[in-house]
Amino acid sequence: MSIAARASPASARRRWFRLDLTTPTLLGLPLAWLAVFFLVPIAIVAAYSFDVYSIDPGPHGFTLQAWHAFLHSSVYLSLFWKSVKMSLIVSATIVLLAYPLAYYLALSGTKRKYVLLLLLIAPFLTSYLLRVLAWKVILGNQGALNSFLVWTGLRSPDHPISQLLYSRFAVMLVLAYIWLPFVALPIFVSLESLDRRLLEAASDLGATRLQAFRRVTLPLSLPGIFAAFLFVFIPTLGEFVTPSLVGGTSGYMYGNQIVDLFGTGFPDWETGSVLAIFLLGVVGVLTIVFARFLQPRQVTAE
Amino acid sequence: MTDVALSRTGAWLLRAFFVFVVLFLYAPIVILLIFSFNDSAVPSFPLSGFTFHWYREFLGNSDLKGALETSAIVAALSSVGAVVLGVLSAIALTRRRFRGKSAVSALLLSPLVIPYLVFGISLLLLFHQLGVPRSLLTVVIGHIVISLPYTILVLVPRLDQIDVSLEEAAFDLGASRLRTFRSITLPLILPAVVSAFLIAFTTSFDEYAVASFVVGSRLTFPIYLYSALRFPNQLPQVIAVAVVVLVLSLTVVIAAEVGRRVAERRLGAAE
Repeated sequence: MSIAARASPASARRRWFRLDLTTPTLLGLPLAWLAVFFLVPIAIVAAYSFDVYSIDPGPHGFTLQAWHAFLHSSVYLSLFWKSVKMSLIVSATIVLLAYPLAYYLALSGTKRKYVLLLLLIAPFLTSYLLRVLAWKVILGNQGALNSFLVWTGLRSPDHPISQLLYSRFAVMLVLAYIWLPFVALPIFVSLESLDRRLLEAASDLGATRLQAFRRVTLPLSLPGIFAAFLFVFIPTLGEFVTPSLVGGTSGYMYGNQIVDLFGTGFPDWETGSVLAIFLLGVVGVLTIVFARFLQPRQVTAE
Repeated sequence: MTDVALSRTGAWLLRAFFVFVVLFLYAPIVILLIFSFNDSAVPSFPLSGFTFHWYREFLGNSDLKGALETSAIVAALSSVGAVVLGVLSAIALTRRRFRGKSAVSALLLSPLVIPYLVFGISLLLLFHQLGVPRSLLTVVIGHIVISLPYTILVLVPRLDQIDVSLEEAAFDLGASRLRTFRSITLPLILPAVVSAFLIAFTTSFDEYAVASFVVGSRLTFPIYLYSALRFPNQLPQVIAVAVVVLVLSLTVVIAAEVGRRVAERRLGAAE
């Protein structure tokens, strides 16, 4: 009965007009949205970097001038290397710190591992700015840490630990604090999916725990380590909020330079666009190189 | 009993390390909490007395409340947008076969890896080029883009989990694809939809980098907070708000996660 009804031409015609979830219907809107508000905007930045578009009145056209100046400037490139070094140190440090945490949660056989994982990750899901604010309160010359030390007599009031705040150290400490919980997640997922029978086999064959770790566990958790590293390295490389709040002049990063070039002082959108596209290019290359380690399912907590 | 992964001492050491790190993660938040009740305009030790003054002051601060309201509107609009786009994309990725799928999924997830700074500037230049004035709407547009991959990452595993034969059965019985989605798929993925919504909402509510480039005259909460951080006399008040927002967001996040697990377990049992 229902099959006959479905096959009737009238119903078929009605179906023709009805909105249905075909693949183009499904993907049309998301892809159009990303094209207009994601890809085109990036193309416009590229156009600015080649002076195809410009905020300066007067004639302008395609030129590599800003790119040439950038690649020959010691200022921008050394600032970029400084930022690379800072993000590398932060990312490597917290991956090292997070690995034993993830290892403990995934392999120690603790019953409450998901509760503990949530406990670890919860701070990451709270406000970014407020966590930076907390460190501003703690690290200042008259801040919580120094005033606590003076109050308890551990340090004389005339000699607070200076330069805690507004330094490269402060930037790296805060970035590490902010990203540490997040880093544990992909490592946990890769260790969690590890087949424990492999470890038992290694043990039966006479491997010590250390050998089993080096030959079995560590290699199998490498994808998680790479994913974790990349997911911290990328955002910290382009960071500008934390350094502008706790970095002072010595913690000034590449991202701050970009913001300043688009700022209200002496805007130079052409140079700013070059710096932005360069950063995007570096990140893009890194992502493609690491792409095989970045299967989407490895970064979701399940 | 010996364990293949950890010796007893090793497990003990790791547990101690875990506790230490958790303390390190929560200590700054606790310190904020303490100073929010401290009766002094400068957050430093020794504490000078207990007060609700800063909380009262923040309740009377209309700029601050306006910023919270603006952020709530932006977050609500952008998370609805991101979830709708996310559901459409996730269904296409898990239920349809088409050419260039890996390229499409790479594009859909690519906002995850773009530095937000670069994306904020890109949007700024787009709107400048089009002559679109900056407003709440321009922030919403940006936040939909950055929340979209998160919603997809939450929805895809759930869609993979549920039994496709349920949908095929509905389709065979004459339901349209849309009807199948409404009656079968949506109820089954609802917990993941809610959790995607909450993730998108909190992402937007907390987002500073992109918003800082495209925000109009009505400030969002993070933008307001950032500017307030430059005035030391507002610090205790900001700390009080900080505590409220931190506690609220922690509660929402934990409730959402627990809720999702419970709901999915029930649905799992029903399947």
